[in-house]
Amino acid sequence: MVFPFTGIVSQEDMKLGLTLNVVDPTIGGLLIMGEKGTGKSTAVRSLAELLPEIVVSRSCPFNCDPDAGQLCANCSEKLARDGTLQREKRRMRVVELPLGITEDRLVGTLDIEHALKQGEKRFEPGILADANRNFLYVDEVNLLEDHIIDLLLDSAAMGQNVVEREGVSFSHPARFILVGTMNPEEGDLRPQLLDRFGLCVYVQSVRDKSLRVEILKRRSRFDIDPEGFLGEVQKDQQTLSEEIVRARANLPGVHMPDEMLGRIVEITTAVRVDGHRSDIVILRAARALASLRGHGAVEAGDVRDVAAPALNHRLKRTPFEDIGSERKKLDEVLHAFTG
Amino acid sequence: MRLPGRGSMFFSEMIGLGKAKLALVLNCIDPCIGGVLLLGDKGTGKSTLARAVARLLPDGMPWVEVPLNVTEDALMESVDLEDAVRTGRHTLQPGLLARARGGVLFIDDVNLLNSDILNLILTNRDNGAGFSLIATMNPQEGPISSKLIDHFGLCALFETPARTALRLKVLKRSDRDEAQNGWFENLDARLRKRIDRARAQLDAITVPDEATGYAVEACMAACIEGHRGDLALERAARAYAGFCLAGSVSRKHVERVLPLALIHRKRELMPPEEEEIREQELKEPENRDKQTEPEDRENESSDGSSDSGPGGQTAIPKPREGRPREEVFQTGEPFKVRRISFRKDRLERRVSGRRTSTRFAGKGGRYVKSILRAREPDIAADATLRAAAPWQLKRGRTGSIIIRDEDFRFKQREKKMGHLVIFVVDCSGSMGAKRRMIETKGAVLSLLMDCYHKRDKVSLIAFRKDRAEVVIPPTSSVELASRKLQDIPVGGKTPLPAALFTTYNLIRQVRIKEPQMRFVVAIVSDGRANQGQSGMPVREEIARGAAMLKEQQNTDFIIVDTEDKSGFMRADLARRLAGALGADYFTADDLKADYLAGLVSSRTV
Repeated sequence: MVFPFTGIVSQEDMKLGLTLNVVDPTIGGLLIMGEKGTGKSTAVRSLAELLPEIVVSRSCPFNCDPDAGQLCANCSEKLARDGTLQREKRRMRVVELPLGITEDRLVGTLDIEHALKQGEKRFEPGILADANRNFLYVDEVNLLEDHIIDLLLDSAAMGQNVVEREGVSFSHPARFILVGTMNPEEGDLRPQLLDRFGLCVYVQSVRDKSLRVEILKRRSRFDIDPEGFLGEVQKDQQTLSEEIVRARANLPGVHMPDEMLGRIVEITTAVRVDGHRSDIVILRAARALASLRGHGAVEAGDVRDVAAPALNHRLKRTPFEDIGSERKKLDEVLHAFTG
Repeated sequence: MRLPGRGSMFFSEMIGLGKAKLALVLNCIDPCIGGVLLLGDKGTGKSTLARAVARLLPDGMPWVEVPLNVTEDALMESVDLEDAVRTGRHTLQPGLLARARGGVLFIDDVNLLNSDILNLILTNRDNGAGFSLIATMNPQEGPISSKLIDHFGLCALFETPARTALRLKVLKRSDRDEAQNGWFENLDARLRKRIDRARAQLDAITVPDEATGYAVEACMAACIEGHRGDLALERAARAYAGFCLAGSVSRKHVERVLPLALIHRKRELMPPEEEEIREQELKEPENRDKQTEPEDRENESSDGSSDSGPGGQTAIPKPREGRPREEVFQTGEPFKVRRISFRKDRLERRVSGRRTSTRFAGKGGRYVKSILRAREPDIAADATLRAAAPWQLKRGRTGSIIIRDEDFRFKQREKKMGHLVIFVVDCSGSMGAKRRMIETKGAVLSLLMDCYHKRDKVSLIAFRKDRAEVVIPPTSSVELASRKLQDIPVGGKTPLPAALFTTYNLIRQVRIKEPQMRFVVAIVSDGRANQGQSGMPVREEIARGAAMLKEQQNTDFIIVDTEDKSGFMRADLARRLAGALGADYFTADDLKADYLAGLVSSRTV
């Protein structure tokens, strides 16, 4: 049994970061930086309970979206043959990527058993297949092997997993929400991969004594009587998942005033980040937050609250530059933001 | 790379990428131009623009993407499994390259692609495999060799716009209404028509001697090696003339495409302002964007004036060759020095450097993939099984699997973090002269960047006063190392013997854990040791230390002599140390970051 999301004390940034990604999966995932034992993994795993249902092509191992342009080879074939795809609903999942994963297991490979027995070529899907339209969770993402990281980036960039090896030629959509955790003391992450995460939050041990006591209490209540504890938070869980469903539904209707676009660019020019990704992420996250808060249009407060998570990991940091000065500037800009 | 979410963008809707768009359009008109390399920071739209080109290709023209983990057989050709099983015939099915015939092969992050694979692709293309190549790369992730870069006909740089207004436009466009799709689709269609027309007329376009002469002159003036630049320039100018509906190539056509054909072939990249100025002068009345998208043209020109703006940091010009070194340091701030030497270094390496090949012949290291041929019989069981699998029925398998010689596949291994580069830096009082230490730090930092590209480990030993200290234990975190380097104090005596012993101990320690590790020891000092470890004469201690170090296997040495060679006091003590270690020796004048960095590259390969 998993510790419930709403039972987690404090760590609001992390919880918000995850929630926003459920509301708008195109935000591009979340990187959680922080020391051990701060509830990183607990939060990600418990997210599964709150995830909404999505419509997929029936019995498709790749969770193809029947309404999307990009389909796996099987679904494309079906669509061409029958003119339509059968649908079913599946709950979004959190798929875990183990650290020692092999390339074969990640991208998929030839099904040897099938080949031996039937003499027929069949693609055995890898983790990227499971991950399509779901959360892909990598614990300690900074310890992942370099070539695995490259592959992950490659598919994430294309939104598609293309396998061209050893007589297998196959591709299927692979749009996943990448959630990673890392303890920065154990090694860096390449800037290119950092940039890949839509948002980034820092988590720390809770410093407030009474909150710490509360954490202990909840944990022991959960350990002794999980069912009972779940009952305690049942209402909160229910409320949050309803909020998420509502926010997802309302998202396209949330208006983004031109003034807010200007404010976004104001922030990103002030801290001089590379590329346009941060601008776009702030836009999407601010809209998701506005939707979650029930706003009809994005407000300055929404932009302000997502700016730091969108920029934390993108502040200029070539190996020879101090990020301190840019960080200070960001704080200043955000401080002056809503006046 | 593309943000997930929306489908691919339209070519015409992308803003402020005039030069890159032109390069791609020209390559569509005449694939013989030799492909396009899109070069720039992350998140600037390289891949998105490249993929948008697919919409401009004529119907039925293939667009094939190369995944980074592609294997040789998938690239070339492989056994058709099903056919093999059904008929027992050895039919080959076409590989990626064959599928790209007559179309475009796209490589995202080409500098992350295995260089053997890239070589194979380029060789095939040059041998008439009939596809054109589009690739992207972010230089911060590591260089590719100048030889490979030269194979791309055109190259366009991507930068983050410094101007707020442009940035705002890009952001707005990213959130535009889907209802506008039709508008951009229409623009794309018109552009495509124009490309088709230009392609059809291409052969009829004449190239007057004056234009050819001008193109050749331009290449010579830019000191381009080889003739690929000339060819690409001429072809690009011709395609551009076709695009402008001109009957023959004029000097203006050549000028317009000049930056695209030469920028990646110069020994150094052109300082951005200089190039932009030229762009400004070159604005033609018949600018192609006028018909397709006025907004774009406007942005292109505003781009040019923005480099000197407050946000134009990415565009810091690097010193040109021949400029006195002092000028580099006039800015005073050590930060500036580091930055410039870092940029210089990075750019230079794109020309001369190469990625460390960590491929490993022995049986150690990680098994990364299977290959058909191998120097050692290191069989990859999984791949061998896969190769044998489809034949089993045909071979009449009843019990155990039947494996024949041709099924065998071998392991290619890679060692992670194959090298440890140990910097041994003299921080004594004699290094106190500010400029000297700044230079030294700049060089070490450049090397650190190099190590980052190669995912090498680094370590730093500083020696001053009475001891040598491992300031940075072996780490793969270049960021951590560079931060610590900043704080190293300078002053006191020169305990060179201690430095040698500390280095020796460090190598021994690391070797216990990682016996396969190769070491590069870079000693940066004037060699004027005046602090011993024992009662022995300092010279004797150095000799012993050097002898111990020299015995270490898999260890290379580099000495950088920081002594002022113009003074009366020169003693050339560092040269003596180099002799004792069998090290490569360089003087302070050679201490240009790029030079030293190139040196380490060649030693670590």
